[in-house]
Amino acid sequence: MRPSRGFVVLTVLVFAGDLLAGSLEVIVKDDKGRPGSDAVAYAVAAGAASAAPKKQAVVDQRDKQFVPYVTAVQVGTAVIFPNSDNIRHHVYSFSPAKKFELPLYSGVPAEPVVFDKVGFITLGCNIHDWMIAYVAVLPTPYFQVTRQDGRAVLKDLPAGQYTVQVWHPALKGQPEALAQRIDVGGGTKSLLFTLPLKHDVRAKRAPGLTTGGYR
Amino acid sequence: MTLSIVLLILFSSFARAEWRFEGETGVVYNSNLSNSDRSADVRDDWAWRSDISAANGLQLTRDLRLNLGADMRGEVWDRFDAFNTIGPGASAGLRYRFGLGRQAPWVLLEDRFGYDRFHDTAQSGYDNVLNFQTGIALSDRIALEGGYAFESFVSPNDFYDRQVHRGNARMVFDVTSSLQVTVGYTYREGDVISYAVPPRPDIARFSIEREDQDEFGQPLRTAYKLLGRTHALSFSIAYQLMKYASVQLGYEYAITTHDPLQYENHLVEANIAVAY
Repeated sequence: MRPSRGFVVLTVLVFAGDLLAGSLEVIVKDDKGRPGSDAVAYAVAAGAASAAPKKQAVVDQRDKQFVPYVTAVQVGTAVIFPNSDNIRHHVYSFSPAKKFELPLYSGVPAEPVVFDKVGFITLGCNIHDWMIAYVAVLPTPYFQVTRQDGRAVLKDLPAGQYTVQVWHPALKGQPEALAQRIDVGGGTKSLLFTLPLKHDVRAKRAPGLTTGGYR
Repeated sequence: MTLSIVLLILFSSFARAEWRFEGETGVVYNSNLSNSDRSADVRDDWAWRSDISAANGLQLTRDLRLNLGADMRGEVWDRFDAFNTIGPGASAGLRYRFGLGRQAPWVLLEDRFGYDRFHDTAQSGYDNVLNFQTGIALSDRIALEGGYAFESFVSPNDFYDRQVHRGNARMVFDVTSSLQVTVGYTYREGDVISYAVPPRPDIARFSIEREDQDEFGQPLRTAYKLLGRTHALSFSIAYQLMKYASVQLGYEYAITTHDPLQYENHLVEANIAVAY
């Protein structure tokens, strides 16, 4: 059987797109010009349907802290929350995009948590108030969390037009307000985002002045 | 049956208990260590103060936590070493949180029993503090706390026996992730000891007991035990130096009255606190 003309054209276009796949370097700074680490940079292709999420993500609990502090996943991804400490933790989220609770446990929970709605989720531990982490649930497979130097590279983006956004746990306002459009072809392009950030008021692990938290 | 369930929960929780070690050391200045009303009688001093503790936290249920701890406290005064003290203590506290997360309201019922050995051994005795505290977070940056404590000090020398009721309220403000500020008010009612160079018939008239003492050297003073009411305003700052340590500064202004006697204290503290 001979392939149809339409199939051939589609195949050529797909391979051509792959050949033209490019990279996008996102540079994030705060409004004082300092590198914005732990920001999530993500690119949403114009009009293209997203591929299914590929793998499971892990948010560990080590030395009474969530690791990593910020995790980015594509919507539909299952996340497991192993507890690597020799004490129990109690993970919860009040965020509208995913409310859940993993009651006091050690080891690895039997079931992962599936993040089935786009949004930004705050995780906490009911025993250790300083334990906070974030999961960014995104409508795209193209994302990266910025490193200490405030940079992230989104690789293997098929050629096309993208809307690029950046989210940070301390971001004032919504990421849509800072969205930028870019055409990606071969090679690497670069975008700079300057984020207005709120004061970091995470609970402290070091001894503080409150009595209610840990005691 | 109920008892055996409670014991089972306790036993299984002990197996997964969580240790916490804390230490605090620093200096404290008291502008009126002698609690005197006349400026000529006032004696100020500063002390090096340290406190170490080990506590075991048992999360009995999602909302209920039992803390069992042991500690050792000490103070070394610069000039008036009669007030130097050291002593061990043990505490037990139950904290209940009404829901999940750090913003949920909580109540804490805690008791600490300890022995304070003074350099002036006549002052030594057993100290018990029963403390009820409650708190609520108004936002992720502001929390309110309040409580009541009953303190009882029992000494072989009855003169140093004290009973004190204390009520407090304070606001805790997280300025940044590293900087925490509190403003508080404390009302205290109970036994106080005020030192004065005799004769002071005006104080003697309403004092419960009095003794001649040499804690402050010459001239000899009389220690008057009386019921006093104290209003105290405090302000403190904690700055996180690193993951396990913070530096804390505090100031308290207290005014104590038993009409017509009235005296003031300014207390300044600077500590380094470590918790692991």
